[in-house]
Amino acid sequence: MSTMKDSELTGSELRRAFRLAFDRLEENRDTVNALNVFPVPDGDTGTNMSLTLRSGIERCPDGEGPSAGEVAYELAQGAFFGARGNSGVILSQFFKGFSDALQGRETCSAADLTQALDMARVAAYGAVGSPKEGTMLTVIRRAAEAAAEIAGDADTTTVFETAFGASCIALKNTPEQLPVLKEAGVVDSGGLGVVVILGGTLEALAPDRYEEARASAGLDSIVDTSMASLGGAGQSQEQGFVHASLEEAWGYCTEFIISGSDLSLEQVRQRCEEMGRSTVVVGDSLNVRVHVHMEDPGAAISYGVALGTVSSVKIENMDEQNVEWAAGHSGPAPSVGAPITVVAVAAGRGLAELFMESGCGHVIEGGQTMNPSVQQIMEGVEHAGAEHTIFLPNNKNIVLTAQQVAANDPTIHVVPTRSVPQGVAALLAYNPISTVEENMAAMEGVLPEVTTIEITQAVRDTSVDGVAVSLGDYIALLDDKLVLTARSAEDALRESIGMAGVDSSSILTIYRGSDADPGAAEASAEALEAATPGLQVDRLYGGQPHYHYLASIE
Amino acid sequence: MAIRIVTDSVSDLPPALAQANDITVIPCYVIIGSETYKDGVEITPERFYSRLPTLSRLPSTSQPTIADFQEVYQRLLDQGHQIVSIHVSAKLSGTLNSAAQAKAALGDSSDIEIVDSQMASAPMALVVLDAARMARETSDFREVARRVRGSLVRNHGFVMVDTLEYLQKGGRIGKAQAFLGGMLKVKPILTIRDGEVHPLERPRSLERAKNRLIEMARELAPIRQINISYSTDRVQALGLRAELAELVGPEHLVESRFGPVLGAYVGPNALGVAVTQGSDD
Repeated sequence: MSTMKDSELTGSELRRAFRLAFDRLEENRDTVNALNVFPVPDGDTGTNMSLTLRSGIERCPDGEGPSAGEVAYELAQGAFFGARGNSGVILSQFFKGFSDALQGRETCSAADLTQALDMARVAAYGAVGSPKEGTMLTVIRRAAEAAAEIAGDADTTTVFETAFGASCIALKNTPEQLPVLKEAGVVDSGGLGVVVILGGTLEALAPDRYEEARASAGLDSIVDTSMASLGGAGQSQEQGFVHASLEEAWGYCTEFIISGSDLSLEQVRQRCEEMGRSTVVVGDSLNVRVHVHMEDPGAAISYGVALGTVSSVKIENMDEQNVEWAAGHSGPAPSVGAPITVVAVAAGRGLAELFMESGCGHVIEGGQTMNPSVQQIMEGVEHAGAEHTIFLPNNKNIVLTAQQVAANDPTIHVVPTRSVPQGVAALLAYNPISTVEENMAAMEGVLPEVTTIEITQAVRDTSVDGVAVSLGDYIALLDDKLVLTARSAEDALRESIGMAGVDSSSILTIYRGSDADPGAAEASAEALEAATPGLQVDRLYGGQPHYHYLASIE
Repeated sequence: MAIRIVTDSVSDLPPALAQANDITVIPCYVIIGSETYKDGVEITPERFYSRLPTLSRLPSTSQPTIADFQEVYQRLLDQGHQIVSIHVSAKLSGTLNSAAQAKAALGDSSDIEIVDSQMASAPMALVVLDAARMARETSDFREVARRVRGSLVRNHGFVMVDTLEYLQKGGRIGKAQAFLGGMLKVKPILTIRDGEVHPLERPRSLERAKNRLIEMARELAPIRQINISYSTDRVQALGLRAELAELVGPEHLVESRFGPVLGAYVGPNALGVAVTQGSDD
């Protein structure tokens, strides 16, 4: 009995376990991100799960004092507010279930842990409307089931060990359950995130047993096989993802000159490449000019100062539009005190202006490559300041986060718009003098009438839905389905519109992204008008990053 | 001696129908630059709309004066008539005020009933035409006024505008403020509810807006009379008319034109449909 008692986890041990789980998830973030089936710049699973768990850890009480129940509760609370992306929402619900099981517990016994994993499983499945197998849900379920099977004669470390081992096997089997994974030759990315988290907790409790379990489950080979399937040289995919990741849009273009003696150009270049992106380092041993895109420009400058004298410092926010837009929206929202308003998520100045001008009380920055968290959505709704808020997520990976917010606030109503064009159509169906119920019915009613087309550039080689894709190809997604590749963004746009079909009564709206050429965009619009007499082609500057064009057919 | 209907030019009642029904239309004023014109008398819709795009400042409008009302009322009373005077919504114009003061000047006991139509233009014209019909059937002008007031809820008007710019600049945009914005080329559909401009929908094209106008009218069936109205594009109005003609007999199908007063607010390319609910009895 005494050994059982010894194995009960204290609050601080539990915290330490999840803290290491977070560190491991953070270290493996790029790998988890890379498992994205669609070769598109997207809300990355690794980033979303990591940011969600980070929010939980940061809220966790430090030190020896707190009970296991308190640690689990704060972890769940933090994860709730920090949840972003579908995987983040599921993870936050996992912690919610986990925490509910440990409510009031001073320490966590093996039996408590088994129950916590089981309740975590139930809560995770409850997070999504129609749970899909072959995803992180399956991995969570298998881990919980395996833990339950050994219940009664195990200690907490063994429970974690069993759950981790089962999660690895479940992860390996995900391609057998989900054809899209099989086609791409990868395991599920969210599933890998769960495996990394469970592995981290085990490692914190018993590093040796973690190494053994990891080796016996063949985790490294599972991951390596997936990464190898991601086509071509690992280097180029990595760069593709770097290019598409969320920091890119938010970094600072940092330029300065380092003057000193005996400067090593090669060394400076190497260090800058480690710190940032789009690095250009030129000069000689006395003067080195540095150009680098940094998330934190201070780090680059500090490095320069350590080598010599720094001059001609120039720092610019690369997304100038974002800055301008933010400046224009610093005052109170037009909807403050109104009985009803709409809050939408949009990326790019053009789209933000369009949503504001068409009746939104507030626009939350975000979209494909940056999924806002529960907290950010709540803040946006609060900023809008109306009695009731109709929320437009405008992205399939934000719908669940929004619904999580709405589940806890009866004044927030989510119209599940899965794309920007759906959001625009829903907003045009909004009428501020109608009731919430009338508006919800009208806005949801128009969603099936909108066909969405998204044009972007493939960030790696793969095969999706039977279409072979190479890094750099322009690809078209028609209502979330990858339908074709083309040599230019305009070709992809024109061909996918042809595939979707338009006639003289259609309205085609083209939202030009920040990467698309205005002249080429206009030429495409004119060609489309000429091809279908009577077709209405509306051109708008969306300014969205990564997606050269968004288009809708209504 | 008879009951005579008086209205103002905001009703946009076609002159031929006014004449045929012994309805007196008191003109409002349209102010363009430094010139003031009597609506429909000194400036025609054709002339007004052709000048509209060239104006650096939008035209403004002004209600008929008390004297204008007094003159008409006095003449009709002198002929031994009783008067039911039906006017544009008090929330949109001060016309009713002028009418009431003219009546007061003639002595409050005079045989004049003043009615707030709570509308403007096409649906108001239908109310006025109905009133003329009642005036022929009834001998009590107060009874006519009472029935007209009771009939208001059965009259509905929908107008599609090409742009909300004119309503906004003219200070009459009301709750349609919410539909402002020019990035998307929407064709807002508005109505007048409780005497004020209310936004209804934002179709994305002219064709869809026309279809919605037709559907909105049909949804109100059974319908007794229809008034199709336009500012500049008669071809589109005729298209609406063809679609809606089957709903009522030809004698209950009116075609009118937004005059300069309405035109100053709805602008070019506006289309309207007004209906009176009920069955022909």
